[in-house]
Amino acid sequence: MEELIQELKVKIIETLSLLDTRPEDIDTEAPLVGAETGLDSIDVLELVMMIEKDYGVKIDNKELGVKVFASVNALARYIYEKRAETVD
Amino acid sequence: MTNVRVFVTGVGIISPLGRGRQATLAALQRGDRVIKPVSLFPVSHTEPLPVGEIAEFIETESVPRTHVLALLAAQEAIAGSDEPPDAIVLGVCSGGMPTTEALLKENFFDPFYYRYHATGTVAAHIARAVGCQGPVLTVSTACSSGSVALAIAMEMLRFGKARNVLAGGADALCRMTYYGFHALQLVDAAGARPLDRNRRGMTVGEGAAMLLLTAAEAPPAGALGELLGAGLSCDAYHPAAPQPEGRGALQAMQDALAGAGMNVSEVDYIHLHGTGTIDNDLAEARALNTLFAPQMPLLSSTKGATGHTLGAAGAMGAVIAVISVREGLVPANSACDDPDPELKLLPVMKPLRKKVQRVLVNAFGFGGNNASLVIGNPDLYNGGLAVRQARPLRIDGMACLTGAGDAQATMTRLIAGASVRGALNFEALATHLPQRVVRRLKRLPRMALTLAAAACTGKEGIGEPHSIFFGTGWGPLSEAHDFLMKLYESGEQFTSPTDFIGSVHNAAAGQVALQLQATGPNITMSGGDYSFEQALLTAILLNHEPGKPFLLIGVDEHHPVFTPLFEPAADRDAPPADGGAAFFLTPGADKGLSIFSLDFAHAWRYPQVIPSMISRIGGQNRIRERYAAVFAGIPAAYEESGRRQLKEFLDATGFRGPVVDYRRWTGEFASASAVAAFLAAQCIQRNEIPEQMRGQKICSLSDRGILLLGLGDFVTAVEVMP
Repeated sequence: MEELIQELKVKIIETLSLLDTRPEDIDTEAPLVGAETGLDSIDVLELVMMIEKDYGVKIDNKELGVKVFASVNALARYIYEKRAETVD
Repeated sequence: MTNVRVFVTGVGIISPLGRGRQATLAALQRGDRVIKPVSLFPVSHTEPLPVGEIAEFIETESVPRTHVLALLAAQEAIAGSDEPPDAIVLGVCSGGMPTTEALLKENFFDPFYYRYHATGTVAAHIARAVGCQGPVLTVSTACSSGSVALAIAMEMLRFGKARNVLAGGADALCRMTYYGFHALQLVDAAGARPLDRNRRGMTVGEGAAMLLLTAAEAPPAGALGELLGAGLSCDAYHPAAPQPEGRGALQAMQDALAGAGMNVSEVDYIHLHGTGTIDNDLAEARALNTLFAPQMPLLSSTKGATGHTLGAAGAMGAVIAVISVREGLVPANSACDDPDPELKLLPVMKPLRKKVQRVLVNAFGFGGNNASLVIGNPDLYNGGLAVRQARPLRIDGMACLTGAGDAQATMTRLIAGASVRGALNFEALATHLPQRVVRRLKRLPRMALTLAAAACTGKEGIGEPHSIFFGTGWGPLSEAHDFLMKLYESGEQFTSPTDFIGSVHNAAAGQVALQLQATGPNITMSGGDYSFEQALLTAILLNHEPGKPFLLIGVDEHHPVFTPLFEPAADRDAPPADGGAAFFLTPGADKGLSIFSLDFAHAWRYPQVIPSMISRIGGQNRIRERYAAVFAGIPAAYEESGRRQLKEFLDATGFRGPVVDYRRWTGEFASASAVAAFLAAQCIQRNEIPEQMRGQKICSLSDRGILLLGLGDFVTAVEVMP
C-alpha cells in the first residue's frame, strides 16, 4: 500500500505537470482537490484517465470521484480494492 | 435614417430533426426525439454513446461533413433571394476535423487532403458557392459560436457595412467532440435529459442553421422574423465550467433585452441553452430565476431532442425561435420526465400551440462564453436599432512576439536589417505567470497570455480591458494534435480532458479573460491568413462604447506535425515561424496613434476587387496623400494572385512610397498581419521605417499613416495612423 501511495504521488505530479512539487510535498491524508493544492475538476478527470489506463480501474461518475479523490490515501485504497476484486 | 431594423428574410436548417424548415417544424410539432447510438464512425472500446446524428444527406468526398451541412443550410436560407449576400458570418468549432481526424487515424499524410481543415474554410466554401464578394467571417467561440455570428451580423447591418448578411452556425459530429465530452464525463449514456432531476449530461449532436438577415426600415415582403437584440459576455471564471450562479449568462440576457429595448415581461418564450449537464442547467436556471422570477416565461431546451449541435446550437435556437414566432409553436423540452426541483423551472413538457411574439435564445460555451439573442415577430414595431458609425481605435499599448523575441528584440533585429522569422523558445513564454497557473497550457495560450500581459503593462490608469478580440488562423494546434494522438495510440480508449478543453479555438482568449477578469464579449475569429483582420473588424463592430478599453490579439503557433500538413503551400524546408501581436485599444479616438479596418472583400471570381477596394477606401488621390507606406501581406499559398493584386493596386493608385512585403521579415504564419500592424505602429511612433525594410525609398511618417493590405483569396485594407 505504501508503495502504491508513493507511485501515485509520482504519477500525479507527472500527469498534472506539477513541476514545482515533489512527491514528499503531497500530504497523503489531505484533500487532493481545492484551493490548497490548486487542483480542480479538470485535473481530477485527467487523473481518472491515468488511473484507468495504468491500473485498469474506472471512476466514471462525479459522486464516486468525490469519494475516491478525498486524498492520496483514499485513492490508493480504492485502486487496491478494485484491483483485488478483478483478480478474484 | 437613424434607426435600422434587422429582419430575418430566410432560414435554413439541417439537424437530426430533419432537413429544412418544414421538416423541422413537423418534427417539433410531433415532439420527435431523434437521439440514437452513434453510427457515423466505429467506436471500439465501449457501447456506442447516443448522439444527435443526421441520418441522411448527400455526403461528398470532396469536402468535410461540416462544409456539406453548412452549405445545405445556406442554400435553403438564400433560396428566396435574387442576389448573393453582402457578407457571411459563420460560427464553427469543428471545421474540417471530421476529415482530418479520419485521415490521421489512417496515418495518411498528404497535405492536399487536409486543405479543408481550417475552421475558416467552411464559410469560404459557402462564399464561393453563393458568390459572396464581401466580408466572410468565421467565429469560433465554442458552443456560443452560432449566436455570436448572428450578433456580429446584426452589428454589420447596423453599421451599414452590408444590406444583407447570411449568418449562422455549423458543426458536424466527429471523434474529437464525441470522445472529448465523454472524457469530461459530461455525456449522459441515456441521452440528454435537460432540466431533469436525474440528468447526467449532454448528447453530442450535429447540424447547421443559417439565417439571411436584411436591414430595412419596415418588414420586407416575406419577412419571417426580426432580430431585436443580442448580448455577449464572458464568465472569466473557468475554462470549461459555467460560473455557478450564472453571472455571465445573466449579463448576456440582460444585455440582449436592453439592446432590444425590452423589459423582462415582454419575453414570451425562452429557448434555453439547456445542455442537460448538471452544472450548465443549474447555472442557467439560477440566472433565469434572478432575471425573471416570479414571472417566468414559457421555456424549453430542444437538446433532449436533437443533442447539442455545438457551434450550430445558437443559430439553431434562432431558427427554432423564428419557427416559434411564425407558427405559434412552443417546442417541448424533450426527455425531461421529472423537472429538477432545485432548478425552480417548469419547462414546457409537450409541444404547445400558443401565440409567441418574442423569444429569448440562449447559447453558452467553453471559455465562459455567453450569448443571448432576442427574436421577434416582424410585424410588431419595436423601434429598431440605432445606426452606428465605425470609428478608429486608439492604440494605447502594444506588444509582439516573433522569432526574435518580444517587441524590443523584434524592433532591434529589424533595425539591424535582419528578419525576425522563427519560432520562439517555449520556455520563454508566459514566464510572468506562476508555473501553477500555466502548467496546463501549451503553446498558443502561453503566447496569448504573454502578449496580453505585455500590451497591458503600464495601462493601469486607463482602466482594465473589458473585452477580448482574438484572431487565430489555426487555433491551438498542440492541444488538438496531442488529444488525437493520445486517442489513437490507446486504440480510442483514452484521451486528455485537458487537451480537449484546450483544443477549442477560443481557449486561449478564455485564458486571457480569466487572467484579466475581462467579462465583456470574448470573441475568437478564425479565417486563415485574414484572422487578425477579422478580429479587428469584429472589435470595431462590437466594441463601440467610447472610453471602454479592450484587447485585440492576433497569434498563431507553429506545430511540427500539423503546420506542414495544414498550411497551404507550406515550405517544408523553411525554418518554423510563428508569433503574433496584441493591442490595448480604446474606441472612439479622435487623435493619437490608431488602427482601423477599411475594407474586407472576397476576391474569388471578383475581377474588379482591387479597383473596388481602392474606390471604397477613398480613391487613388486620397491613398497617395494619406499613406506614407504600404505593408503588403502575400501569403505563400496566394503568391501568384497576391503579387498580381499588389501590382494592380500600385499601378492604379500610382503609389510611389515604400512597399514592404512584410512576410519576408516576419516569416510565414497565419497571423503575420498582426505583427505587421505592430510594426506599422512602431514605425509611426519612431517616425521611421527600418532602412532594409523600406529599400532605397525615403518617406516621412510625421503626418501620414501606413496602409496594410492583405492579399490573396481575400483582399483586406487596414490603416495605422499617427
